[in-house]
Amino acid sequence: MLLRVALFAGLCVAASGAQAQFNLRNLDINKVLDTAKNVVKATGEIGEQEEIELGRDVAAQLLGAAPLMANEGVQRYVNYVGRWLASQTERPDLPWRFGVLEAPQLNAFATPGGNVFITRGLLERMKSEAELAGVLAHEIAHVLRKHHLKAIQKGAQTALAGEALTQALARRDGANREKLIALGSEVFTRGLDKSDELEADRLGVAIAARGGYDAYGLPSVLQTLQAMNPQDSGLALMFKTHPAPAERLDAMEKLQSLLDAYAAQPQLAERFAASARTRR
Amino acid sequence: MKTPAATSLRTLASRSLRALAALLVAAPFLAPAPCLAEAATVIRATELKRAPATDAESAGQLAENAKVDALERQGGWTRVRAPGGAEGWVRMLALRFDGGGAARQGDSGIAQALNVARTGTSGAQVTTGVRGLDAEQLANARANPAELKKLERYAASKDAAAAFAERGPLRAQQVSYP
Repeated sequence: MLLRVALFAGLCVAASGAQAQFNLRNLDINKVLDTAKNVVKATGEIGEQEEIELGRDVAAQLLGAAPLMANEGVQRYVNYVGRWLASQTERPDLPWRFGVLEAPQLNAFATPGGNVFITRGLLERMKSEAELAGVLAHEIAHVLRKHHLKAIQKGAQTALAGEALTQALARRDGANREKLIALGSEVFTRGLDKSDELEADRLGVAIAARGGYDAYGLPSVLQTLQAMNPQDSGLALMFKTHPAPAERLDAMEKLQSLLDAYAAQPQLAERFAASARTRR
Repeated sequence: MKTPAATSLRTLASRSLRALAALLVAAPFLAPAPCLAEAATVIRATELKRAPATDAESAGQLAENAKVDALERQGGWTRVRAPGGAEGWVRMLALRFDGGGAARQGDSGIAQALNVARTGTSGAQVTTGVRGLDAEQLANARANPAELKKLERYAASKDAAAAFAERGPLRAQQVSYP
């Protein structure tokens, strides 16, 4: 990172051309270094604490669109499943939070730093804890690989130049912070890159298997989605922002040996039926 | 047109609709291991097996693009009924569904039941108490810090989650990312 900063500072001096060369004595080297640091922020690493705080703000925004389903038992159940899966990953100590959103549509979301959501509509279509685990594991993979965070950063490169992003991340500037959160929400309606989704599917299968679940949970949910009418209004946003289920199932075929190695692990359909009841 | 008969008919209709909605919402939980019986296509020529295993006896051959009814899943295998009536198991991933299985008539049960109050031909949604979560709602959302607090409150600790897994029982495995 340091090397990159130094390199960039060098480029920066070179790029500012004749003026910089002639006024080198007056050049504020600190300012150049600051600018360099900010550009690194827009393309390089955002700190974990900043990631967590930004993810919380984006989660609060999402919860403004749909609140949590008012059923503490279901919320806690989903947190147990999700937290267990997250513990099997390379980021086990993030402040992982899982929530069921009160919405009839079928969808799932993740925000940076460990916030994962699924809709009531999707939960009601599931048949086992292994299926729930498959979907949560897919979302956990987005957090692990910082897919959402990178998409926000990419958007910020044009929307928030240089210092503005640093300020927005450090909560020093209200308006720019709002812009950053808006970029985070936009990802939900615009979608991530297709390659990010397919990567999350691959990792999701592995993470569910690590958790001891039947690895076919995620493919099984994809088949459920594929069997539904694509014109269904509950599917519109998910189908707009994700590759088609058939394409995702095609990609799953490359994982056949991994899937089969962990196909005999529990599905826990009974525990799911008893714990995920959305009506008391 | 607001005769008492029409009013009571409307009440009756709305009651049945509510009952239907309740039934549809409860349905997934009434049968933990449901029979799918959904129309599917075999994406390549494949052997129909008598049991869900590679080394199981053959129960016949299915041609590429053969139409079958998918009945149930077990691990990576799905039990199907072939056009001639023969039943057996095929690789789950050798099947693609026809995108009309449970909902040939239109919306899925839940979405339909909850989105009943659409206005005429515009399809614009009237507020029904459930706001839902589509692109428009996401774009116009304002932060809800109270719900964020609740989210924090429901969080599980690593230890509590491990104890929950043990009750499954679930056993953690070493699995590399593919």
